[in-house]
Amino acid sequence: MNATLEYLSYSLETLETGFYKLPGSQVLARYVKSSHQNDPGRTVLEVILLIFVIRTLLQSRTRADNSGKHFIQFSEKEIDELVDEWTPEPLEQPLTERESLDLASLPIISGATGPKPKLVGSGKTVMNFASFNFTGLSGNEHIHQKATAALRKYGLGSCGPTGFYGTIDVHTDLERNIADFLGTEDSILYSQAFSTVSSVIPAFSKRGDIIVADRSVNFAIQKGLQISRSTIRWFDHNDMKSLEEVLEGINKEIRKRRSPLTRRFIITEGIFERDGSMADLPKLIELKYKYKYRLILDETFSFGTVGRTGRGLTELYNVPASEIDMLIGSVATSLCSAGGFCAGSSAVVKHQRINGTAFVFSASMPAILSIAASEGIAILRDSPSILSTLQENVRTFRSILDKLDCITIPSHHASPLIHIQVRSASASSLLPTAVPPSASKPSNPTSALPRNLQVFDIEAEERLLQEVVDDVLAQGILITRAKRLRGQEISEVRPSIRLAISSAFTKKECEKTATVIKTSLAKVLSKRR
Amino acid sequence: MPSPIAINPVSPSQSIFKKTSKSPSNLPASAASYLSAVSQADAHARARSLANVVTPTSTPALSMSSSVTVLSEDSILREGEVKMYDNDDGLSYPRVPPTSEQSFTTAHSEFGHCANEEYRFTSQHPVGKPAPHQEEQDPPYYILLSTYISFMILICLGHLRDFIGKRLKPSAYTHLQPHDGWAPLNSDFDSFYIRRLKVRLDDCFSFPVTGVPGRTIICYDRDTHDYNVTLHTTGRRTRGLNISSYNYLGFAQARGGCADAVVESISRYGLSSCGARLEAGSLDLHQTAERLVAQFVGQEDSVISSMGFATNSTIIPALVGKGCLVISDEFNHASIRFGVRLSGASVRTFKHNNVKSLEDLLREVISQGQPKTHRPWKKILVIVEGLYSMEGSMVNLPKVLELKEKYKFYLFVDEAHSIGALGPHGRGVTDYFGVNPLSVDVLMGTFTKSFGAAGGYVAGKKSLIDLIRVKGHSGPYAEAMPPPVLTQVIASMASIMGVASEPLKTANDVTSTALASYPGPAPVHMLPSWLDLPPLLKDGSEGQVRLRRLAFNSRYLSRGLKKLGFITYGSDDSPIVPLMLFNPGKMCVFSRMMRQRATPIFIVVVAYPATPLVTSRVRFCLSAAHTKDDIDLILTACDEIGDWLDLKQGSGERWPLQQIMDRAVELVHMDMD
Repeated sequence: MNATLEYLSYSLETLETGFYKLPGSQVLARYVKSSHQNDPGRTVLEVILLIFVIRTLLQSRTRADNSGKHFIQFSEKEIDELVDEWTPEPLEQPLTERESLDLASLPIISGATGPKPKLVGSGKTVMNFASFNFTGLSGNEHIHQKATAALRKYGLGSCGPTGFYGTIDVHTDLERNIADFLGTEDSILYSQAFSTVSSVIPAFSKRGDIIVADRSVNFAIQKGLQISRSTIRWFDHNDMKSLEEVLEGINKEIRKRRSPLTRRFIITEGIFERDGSMADLPKLIELKYKYKYRLILDETFSFGTVGRTGRGLTELYNVPASEIDMLIGSVATSLCSAGGFCAGSSAVVKHQRINGTAFVFSASMPAILSIAASEGIAILRDSPSILSTLQENVRTFRSILDKLDCITIPSHHASPLIHIQVRSASASSLLPTAVPPSASKPSNPTSALPRNLQVFDIEAEERLLQEVVDDVLAQGILITRAKRLRGQEISEVRPSIRLAISSAFTKKECEKTATVIKTSLAKVLSKRR
Repeated sequence: MPSPIAINPVSPSQSIFKKTSKSPSNLPASAASYLSAVSQADAHARARSLANVVTPTSTPALSMSSSVTVLSEDSILREGEVKMYDNDDGLSYPRVPPTSEQSFTTAHSEFGHCANEEYRFTSQHPVGKPAPHQEEQDPPYYILLSTYISFMILICLGHLRDFIGKRLKPSAYTHLQPHDGWAPLNSDFDSFYIRRLKVRLDDCFSFPVTGVPGRTIICYDRDTHDYNVTLHTTGRRTRGLNISSYNYLGFAQARGGCADAVVESISRYGLSSCGARLEAGSLDLHQTAERLVAQFVGQEDSVISSMGFATNSTIIPALVGKGCLVISDEFNHASIRFGVRLSGASVRTFKHNNVKSLEDLLREVISQGQPKTHRPWKKILVIVEGLYSMEGSMVNLPKVLELKEKYKFYLFVDEAHSIGALGPHGRGVTDYFGVNPLSVDVLMGTFTKSFGAAGGYVAGKKSLIDLIRVKGHSGPYAEAMPPPVLTQVIASMASIMGVASEPLKTANDVTSTALASYPGPAPVHMLPSWLDLPPLLKDGSEGQVRLRRLAFNSRYLSRGLKKLGFITYGSDDSPIVPLMLFNPGKMCVFSRMMRQRATPIFIVVVAYPATPLVTSRVRFCLSAAHTKDDIDLILTACDEIGDWLDLKQGSGERWPLQQIMDRAVELVHMDMD
C-alpha cells in the first residue's frame, strides 16, 4: 500500500517537473491557478468549452445532417428493407415520338460543309442557309493551307490546360489579334463558344452581387446566371426604358436597406440568339455609367457580322470597345473555327485566367484552329467587301420576306440571323415586336417572365414550321428550325425558323432562296386558316 | 548542378550518329537548305519544304524491325527550332544510336525511340484479386508542422504587406477597393491567396510553349523584374523533357499516320462544321466517329461534344434533375461539379475512393429519402472518375459495381484520364479490371489526353444517348466538333484498336457487332473510306506497342520513386504519378531545379486549391513517347533534388539509384505488396 502511494507521488512529481520543463508551461500553470482561485466556476466553464471545441473539431462535416431534426433513426434491418424496397426511376425517359422523328430526320452533311454542301441520304447538293458561315470563311483555301502548315509544326491536340503547358504561342497570338481587332487591352480564349459566357459570369459575379439581365438572353447566359448564384433582376427584352426603371428600383432598394456596395452587372446580347434583335449599345453605355454597372455583352452573333469590317456592335455604333467591360464573342461562328473569347481590360482578362472555370479546367483549343481564326481576322480586316456583301444579302432577304404578312420577323434589319415566326392568327396586339403600352404596369423585375406574356402553341407552330423546312429542303435549300431545349429554358421561346445568311452567296441566289421560302411559308401557313 | 548521367554531347556514339545524320545520302536538297537557314528561318517556309520532302510512302510510323532505313533525318531537321545540330540538351538524339537493323520513323523529340522489347508491360488488374488498397503515406510530423508554419508565415507576411502597402502605396490597392461607387471586381480579401501566395510560384505555371507537346516540348524562357507580378518572355526558347502533358499514348505528333489523316481531312472537310449538332452542324464524320467510339468503349452508342469540360457540364443536367441525388467522389473534377450544380439535383459527397464511406452514405440517403419530405429519391447517380488526375488513384470499380447491384443506383464513370491509358486494350478502367463495360450506365471520356485531340464523349445505351442528343445542352446550342479533331480521334482510335480487314457479317446491326467484337479491332466499314493508315497503325501493332510502353513507363517511374524513398500517391499502373512535396516553398524550388538542369525537365507542380492545403505535389504525366532513358533521367534528377529538399520520407525498402536503373525490368514485373 505504502509502496504504491510512494510510487504514485513519485510519478506525480516527475510529471510535474516534466510539465514545468516544457516551454510556456509556467505561464499556463499560473493562469490556471489564479483563475481557479478567483472563480472555480470559471474553470469548469473553460473545461467544458475546451471539450466542446475538441468535439467540434473531431466531428466530420458530412455527419452534420445526421443530427438534424429531420433525421430518422433506423435499425440496420430496417435500412436493409428500405434499400430492398426502393425502386428508382429509369435513368432515361424515352423520347417522345416527335422527338425521335426529329432526331432521325436531322440533315447530315456529307463531306465539307459550306454554302453548297451535299447531304447524306439523298446525296443532293443544297444551298445552305442553316450553318453559321456568315463571312463565308468556311472552306477558304488560304486558311486551309495555313492550318495544314501549322499542323506540321504543332500537331493537333494541345494535350493540356493552359496552366500546364497548354499555352501555345498561337493562342497568345490569337488573343492579341482579337484584342487589336476590337480595340481592347487584352482578350482570353476559351475552347468552346457555348461555355465561354457561362464561365465568364460566375468568374466575376458571386453570391450577393447584382445582375440585371435582359429577359431574352440566350441559354448559355441563363446557365451562367444560375451558376453565379447572384441576385438577378430582369428587364423587358431590349427595352431600355424598362432597364432604367429596374436600375432605379434597385437603387431605391439599396438605399432603403443600406446594403453594402456589391458588384453590379448588366448582361445582354449584341444580336440576340433567340430572335435576332439588336441591343441599343449607346443607351446601354449611358445607363451603365449613370448607375455604375459593369456591362457584359455577348456578341456571339454580332461579332463578325455587323460593322464595316465585322468588329461587331462597337463598330456599328462607333463606340470604343473598351467601354464594354466584358465583351464576349465566338470564334466558332463568324471565323469558322472553334472556341470563344472574352475581351476587356487586362485586369478583367487576368482575373479570368485564374477564375474562369471553363478556362482553367479545360484543355486549350487545338493550335490549327487558333491559326485559322487569326487568319480569319486578318481576312476580315483587309476585306470590308465581305461584310458589305453580307449586309447586301441580308437586305435582299428582308426585302422579300418582310412583305409576307402571315409571319413576323423580330430580327433587326442588319442581323444575318433571321428568325421567322408564325404570326398569331388572332389578336394583333400580341406581336412579339410590339412595345407594351406605356400605360400598363411594368413587369416584375424578380421574375424572368414579362408581364404581358405571349401565348402561343409551341407544338402546332413547330409542326407548321417544320413543314416549311421540309418543303424548302425538297427544293434544294437547307434551312432549319431554331432548336430549343423545351422545358429547360427560363421562359419558352416562340418557335421560329432560323436563317443564317452568308456572304458566300450572290444576290441572285439570295433572291431565289428568299422567294422559295416566302412561297413555301405562304403555302403552308395559308392551309392553317 | 550537372547530372551524373547528363548526356555528354561529345560522346563518341553521339558523333557517329551525328555523322550519319548529316551525311547527305538522303534528302540532300532539304538538308542543305536547312543548313543555310540554321537559326531563324521562317517557320512556315520550313514546314512547307518538309511537306514536300515527306512522300506518302515514308509516312512516319513507329517501327521496330523494318527494312526501310529512314533514319530520322526529318526529325533532326525539325529540331531546328532551337538548337539544331547539337545535342547539348540531351534530348534531340537517342543516347545509343540505332543499329542498322532498326529504323525509327518518328521524330525522337516527339516520340522517343525505344527498341528494347523488355521495356514493355501490360496494364491489367490481375483477375480475381481484390483491388489493392491504395494507402496514402503520411509524412513525418515535423514535415507537416513545418508546412503549416510555412503557410502561417506566408499568410502573416501577406497581411502585413497589405497593411503597410495600403498606407504607404494606396494607389496599388485602388483596384481592390470600392472607389467612386464601383465595387472592386476582386476584393483584396478574395484575391489574397492569388496575390500573396500564388504569385510567388507564378514562374512555375502557364509556360508559353510552342511546337508539339510530345516527348519534349519547347518553352519560351521568361523573366521578371517585379517578383513575378509580370512575367515577360526573353525571346529565348528551351527544349526540355516533357513529363507534364496529357499525352499518354504519344499521339501528340506533327507527323505520322494520324497527322497525315488530319491533313487529308482538312482538304476534304475543311476546319469547321459551322453550327450546332441539331442545327445543321452534323457531318457524316460525326456519325462515323460516334459509332467508332461506341465500339471502342464497348457500349451501344455514343455522342461527341466539342469540349471535354462541356461534356460533363452539359450532359449531367440531361440525366438528373430535381428530386434526384448525385453522389460524387470528393475529388471529382470541377466540370462534374459544374454540371451537377446546373442540373438542380441534390449532391452528397463521399470520401475519396472509400467504398465504405460510399456504402454508409448510400444506406443513409436511401433510408432517409429526400430531405424534409422523406420521399424516396427519384434516382441516385453515383459519379466517379476512372483515374483521378491529381491523385493518380483508380476507382475501385469491382467493389462499386457490387454496391450498384445491391443499392440500385446508376453509375457514371468519368474516364477523362483513364480512357486509352489503362487496360490491356486501352479501353479504360473497365478494361483494366476486366469488367463488362455494359455494367456501367454512363461512360464519359475525353479525347484531349490519350488521343491527342480535343473534346469528349458520352457512351451508353442507345436510348440514353438519344436522350442526351436531344436534351443535353450542347445539341442545340454548342458548336459541333471540328472535322480535323474528329479525324484525329478516328485515326488514333483505329490505330489503337487495329482495323479488321474483313467486314463483319452482321454489319447492318451496329449494336450487335459492337458488343460481339469488344475489345476487338475496328471493322473497316466503320472507318471513312478515304482514311488510309500506314500498315503498322492499321494492324494495331503500333497501338499495342504504345499501350505496353506506357504501362512500363508508368510502373517504372512510380516504383522507382518509391524505391528511392519518395512518397507517391495512387496506383502503380497509373500514368499519373504524384510525388508529394508538402511544403509550399519546395514547389517552386523543385520546379526551377528541374528545368535548370543540363537536360531541362518540365514538370507540373500542383497546390491548393487543386489539392488539399498540406499536400502540395509534383505531378508527372507519363507517355508512351518516353523511353527508359528518359525515366532514368527523371529518377536521377529526383534523386538529387530529393536529397537537397529532404523529400525522401517514404517508408519501405530503398534501393540505390543505380540499382533501380539496372534492375528496372525486374522492378516493374515484381509483385509488390
